[in-house]
Amino acid sequence: MFDQLFDGALVDSVMRAMIPILLAALGGMICDRAGVFQISLEGMMLAGAFAAVAGSYLAAASGLGVLFAVVAGAAVSLVLAFGAVSRKGDPIVLGIAVNLLMLGMTGFLLPQIFGVRGVFAHPRIDGLDRFAIPGLSDIPLLGPALFDNTIIAYLSLPLTAALWVFLFRTPMGLRLRGVGERPQAAESLGVSPTVYKYWAVVSSGVLAGLAGAQLALGNVVQFAENMSSGRGWIAVVAVMLGRAHPVGVLGASLLFAFSEGLGFRLQGNGLPVQITDALPFAVTLIALIAARKRFARLLDLTTAG
Amino acid sequence: MAAPALELRGITKRFPGVVANDAVDLTVRAGDIHAVVGENGAGKTTLMSILYGLFPPDEGEILVGGERVRFGSALDAIRAGMGMVHQAFRLFPTLSVADNVVYRAEPTRGVLMDRAAALRSVAELAERYELAVDPEALVETQPVGVLQRVEILKALYRDARILILDEPTAVLTPQERDRLFTVIRRLRDSGRTILFITHKLGEVMAVSDRVTVLRNGRSVAGLVTAETSPEEITRHMTGRSVDLNRRAAPHRPGDPVLAVAGLEVTGEHGRTAVDDAAFTVRSGEILGVAGVAGNGQTELIEAIAGLREAAAGSVTLGGADITRAEVADRRRAGLAFVPEDRHRVGTSHLASVSDNLLLGHHRHPDRQRRGWFKLRNVRAHARRLIETFGIKAGALNNPVSTLSGGNLQKVVVAREMSHEAPLLIAEQPTRGLDIAAIEYIHGRLVSFRDEGGAVLLVSAELSEILALSTRILVMFEGRIAAELDPAAVTEPDIGLYMTGAYLEREKGGAPGGRKGGQDG
Amino acid sequence: MDRTDRLDRLAQGVRQIWANPAVFPFVFAFSVGLAVVLLTGGNPFFAYQEMFVGAVTGSGLRNTLDQAVPIIGMALAVSAAFRAGVINLGGEGQMVLGGLAGALVAIYMPGPGALVVPLAMAAGMVTGMLWAMLPALGQTRLRLPILITSLLLNYVARSITGYLVRFPFLDDSVTLTSTEKIPEAARIPKMPLFGGVSLSLVLVLLLGGLAWLVYKRTVVGYETQMAGLNGSFARYGGIGVERQTVGVMAVAGAVGGLIGTHLIIGSAYRFIDGELVVSGLAWTGLLVSLLAANRPGFILAAGLLFAGLQIGGQSMQRNAGVSWRLAQVLQAVVIVAVASRLALGRRRRKGRRSAEAEIEPAHVGEV
Repeated sequence: MFDQLFDGALVDSVMRAMIPILLAALGGMICDRAGVFQISLEGMMLAGAFAAVAGSYLAAASGLGVLFAVVAGAAVSLVLAFGAVSRKGDPIVLGIAVNLLMLGMTGFLLPQIFGVRGVFAHPRIDGLDRFAIPGLSDIPLLGPALFDNTIIAYLSLPLTAALWVFLFRTPMGLRLRGVGERPQAAESLGVSPTVYKYWAVVSSGVLAGLAGAQLALGNVVQFAENMSSGRGWIAVVAVMLGRAHPVGVLGASLLFAFSEGLGFRLQGNGLPVQITDALPFAVTLIALIAARKRFARLLDLTTAG
Repeated sequence: MAAPALELRGITKRFPGVVANDAVDLTVRAGDIHAVVGENGAGKTTLMSILYGLFPPDEGEILVGGERVRFGSALDAIRAGMGMVHQAFRLFPTLSVADNVVYRAEPTRGVLMDRAAALRSVAELAERYELAVDPEALVETQPVGVLQRVEILKALYRDARILILDEPTAVLTPQERDRLFTVIRRLRDSGRTILFITHKLGEVMAVSDRVTVLRNGRSVAGLVTAETSPEEITRHMTGRSVDLNRRAAPHRPGDPVLAVAGLEVTGEHGRTAVDDAAFTVRSGEILGVAGVAGNGQTELIEAIAGLREAAAGSVTLGGADITRAEVADRRRAGLAFVPEDRHRVGTSHLASVSDNLLLGHHRHPDRQRRGWFKLRNVRAHARRLIETFGIKAGALNNPVSTLSGGNLQKVVVAREMSHEAPLLIAEQPTRGLDIAAIEYIHGRLVSFRDEGGAVLLVSAELSEILALSTRILVMFEGRIAAELDPAAVTEPDIGLYMTGAYLEREKGGAPGGRKGGQDG
Repeated sequence: MDRTDRLDRLAQGVRQIWANPAVFPFVFAFSVGLAVVLLTGGNPFFAYQEMFVGAVTGSGLRNTLDQAVPIIGMALAVSAAFRAGVINLGGEGQMVLGGLAGALVAIYMPGPGALVVPLAMAAGMVTGMLWAMLPALGQTRLRLPILITSLLLNYVARSITGYLVRFPFLDDSVTLTSTEKIPEAARIPKMPLFGGVSLSLVLVLLLGGLAWLVYKRTVVGYETQMAGLNGSFARYGGIGVERQTVGVMAVAGAVGGLIGTHLIIGSAYRFIDGELVVSGLAWTGLLVSLLAANRPGFILAAGLLFAGLQIGGQSMQRNAGVSWRLAQVLQAVVIVAVASRLALGRRRRKGRRSAEAEIEPAHVGEV
């Protein structure tokens, strides 16, 4: 049974599942480090997915789609940045509202712009090409998934490393962490918490937008209503479980992606889709229970009246 | 004559409803230790925040070394050579000492931080000014005295010529305070100018060269320390003379109300915060608990009040074992509690004055029947408290956040005293209040005692402990280091126990009391 | 002279309304909606007109009232938790599972309607309650934030109901993935009002009144409110915040399950896989609760308003060719605006540097 499950196709579907979660979670991680509670990843990812399809359709070129996705993610993130940072609104309320806003907005724009409901697929939509890296892509089992992939997928792993360097080895990273921990202390040394928080939130918008582009132009080539389907929330949990550390976030994303990929495979083996769909969420909950001692801080954040 | 290091002319700052600074003038000569004194609310902190660029004045000008400056942010102030040691430290707990010091002025190699260089320069600086710190240690693991050194190093690392210290001794023992004064003098002798904010006259006399007195937001006097006296400064500060004399009553304690035995409490990070505490509080007495903040007082109180679990030992209130009881049951058993943090624990600032006065005995049969409030009684109760305690509050339904600090604390004290509980725990009951409010609350505590109440008083202000207590316990590193008789000790004596210095002197016999915390 | 005076006063009045913090978010949201419709080539004025007309005329009023039942109900459910500072995002799962449980009792339980309907409701309530207590106990026992767990459980609830409807309880006589139809006798009756509004409207109005009474007049209402405003204060005052968390989640889940049951046995008459989720009603209710700041009276008003937007939106879609999802957009934008404290006039005063608040907290001035 295990030989049937663990093959190149499984690795491939794990990789597919992981990239969007990882990208969004990295964005959430930056926000967490800057002291902004970011739960609108889901909405920004959805906006990114829609914009990616729209851009790619308009220009018949995936590059413009990715650009659209990034811009859309960043634009949506500004709603949270303005409300939570400039206006000191409740980030939880704003996050929920932004998620619902994007669900409604994409649901509205789909029929208004493309005249369809539910799903928009069209030959003009240019999907992201997969580039095979000669030699590496021939490695058995892992090769095809890791080294025959989209540009966004290639970017995501080095990006994780780059963010580690940024956070822990550069002056800007130090300042960002300081802002998240004690904004008054940062301000008293001339570092503006507002500026850092804005950049953090906008970065998360860019990354969630990219995640949406990978979802809509990489994993499939279409936009489906609510296609982020909870991945943004899983990314929120990945930030928690990974303690807002790049390595931890990568590990948590991999765990969830693995359960999603496995579910996908088991579905092929005849398990009902309703059960396999629930798998990543169940795994997420179990992982939360296993690692529960870690998030006293978040609990305080979310239960303080 | 050289230009003064710093000159303020007609600085005015208004907040909604308040003029915090009203045409303040201040001239600080280069190379002086210049004290700025005033009561709480006199406008000291506002003035320093303006000086440090945290917000702009509405009117007036600032001159540094004779040149007019305008601070748009703290960064401008830092660049003009100002350095500030805030009263509440502005440090990053999970970053290292070195990272805290170099923050925003990091040495770099290419785009990366040069961590070796950071560690090196912090170590050098610490050595030069004899401010011993471990550059690699995480700030959250360091004691308060070290944190203050880190704050001073931050300013020195930025080569501050004018160093502002805002109430720097509030968290220090008398011994640490003296060390700080040595550092301050050394800094002055190295050519820096020190601005020293305080409300403690003894410190003004001990360390400063000149004094400026603030009252109600105005600068009312500029004096040369050597030519003035504490009495004169006090007169300028308050417009009258103050009586902070001891109010220890005739010692006639009654029956034990609270008995703590072998109490052990676990604090943050799993360390033992309170270790084998044992004492009794009797009716008609005020038991004062002294100690440097962070030596287990908070955890001790929380364990007694039911906000933290006791790991071992017992707490008995009025004969009933309440070691594991829920907060509501403790309150029913006769516990009232004025907590340290009146803004976050003692009150709920979005809730109304009336709701704030109700908590804790809202289930009293006079106020509810079968879960339904008797609204008329609830309102009458609130009005009675407001009247009895002279709380200046608008409508009962106004949020409590509209009250001033002193009135807020009166809300807490009124509510807790109205329980008519035999035991009152008062934790830092007067911190941050002005003298009138302090006197009022002290008077209330004393009359509570005189009516036969038992008071457990925790305070970082030794003068408060000495003025009110019938007996004094000193806590050091979670243990009760001594029980002292306030009539027989002085502040420095208590300080020895607060720092653990008695441990070394024990054999020679410590002054004013005996070792161990057992009740006599 | 007189005229300009009056004009001035009028202008001032308009400015006041416009700058009102309760009104401006709506003005803002409708402006955003207007721009979006314009940009996508629609006629926003015609669309808004159709929306308004569709919500209140013809069968619109009845539909609006019917739609308001679950929205108000879910808002009351979530407000019970929010008010106590418990962030329950699991309304959807509580509603869906409760709905299925209620439907199954209504379908398979023999007996007269007077017995079956209450039993179905009870089943829905118990199911929703138990489901909601999972994240509550997770928070009090395991310290897992309800915010996250309650939300993740929505997806699990979707899968559970999906599986149950597709396999054990599938009605294979129809092409839908659905349970069997609710027997006529086991349905919640309609009232002879505007051509047949569900009797459940009375139920949610009663619930709203009950909530008002409990919140205003009782010890429980006071204790939950204090916990919601400041948990440390509540604990210090002897309120059992942990037990209360489980309690309010149980209430929220029970009401959610009740509303789910109503949606099946009082409105759809079948449990169709995914339909309750797609409707987004639980989330609309949540937005209503946020907008009304958990106050029952405001929840009734805001619930009616949002229901009107949705029903009007459907009519707008039919007659003006503008997707009804615009209603969702408007609702979410209102909340964004409220949460961002958007209001004209207050902006300048409030937009001060943050430092001030920290430096001089309360002890400026006299005692």
